[in-house]
Amino acid sequence: MPPMQNQRSAPVFLNLLRIRFPVGAVTSIAHRLSGLLLFLSFPVLVYWLDLSLRDPAGYAHAREWLDCLWVRLASVVIVWSLIHHLFAGLRFLLIDLGLGVERAAARRSAWAVNGLVLLLVLIYIGWLV
Amino acid sequence: MSRQTHALRGWLLQRFSAVYLAGFLVYLVIHFLTLESHGYDAWRAWLAHPAVALASVGFVLALVLHGWVGARDIILDYIHALGLRLLLLALSGALLAASGLWAVRLLLLNAG
Repeated sequence: MPPMQNQRSAPVFLNLLRIRFPVGAVTSIAHRLSGLLLFLSFPVLVYWLDLSLRDPAGYAHAREWLDCLWVRLASVVIVWSLIHHLFAGLRFLLIDLGLGVERAAARRSAWAVNGLVLLLVLIYIGWLV
Repeated sequence: MSRQTHALRGWLLQRFSAVYLAGFLVYLVIHFLTLESHGYDAWRAWLAHPAVALASVGFVLALVLHGWVGARDIILDYIHALGLRLLLLALSGALLAASGLWAVRLLLLNAG
């Protein structure tokens, strides 16, 4: 890899097919993606809250949402987003505080977060079906 | 205010709101896993409890601030055309503000 022309500027070599993705990068980009998905689901979830509080019929209707296959699939995506965003976010907070900054420790915690999130999502899917 | 101070304020806001959001989420999960009474009346009564209503309104406010910092970071990182950037920032802000006000209104009406 050639030396960077200007050490102070941000990297400009951004060909996604040629960048290597270490585990920390996967955790990080998934943190962004999950945040974006949660952002987009926010209005839908508020609508769901509205429905559930309206009257007993609305409450029953809100519960019936989860009987629909597409809603169940979407709920898996949202639950993954929530759990990943939570645990990857906690990892970033600890790194901000100076805990686990070294490369080996950061790689271990990234694997731990990804594995734990996968496990919890599988538990959710098991509860759902 | 300088750009750096502005960014630092967002960075701090994102992290402090994150801690609150995480704490409330843990409470929610524990609550729903140990839930004893189901149904419409129990659901409304729980949300109308002053402590729960107050903490929920706080959650929505923290969520809006946290979502705003995150949306702004993503838009500024990936969208460079000025017009589109401003449009997306405005749309994100409007979506967050509208959804947040809607949620707070629901919570206050239910509690009041």
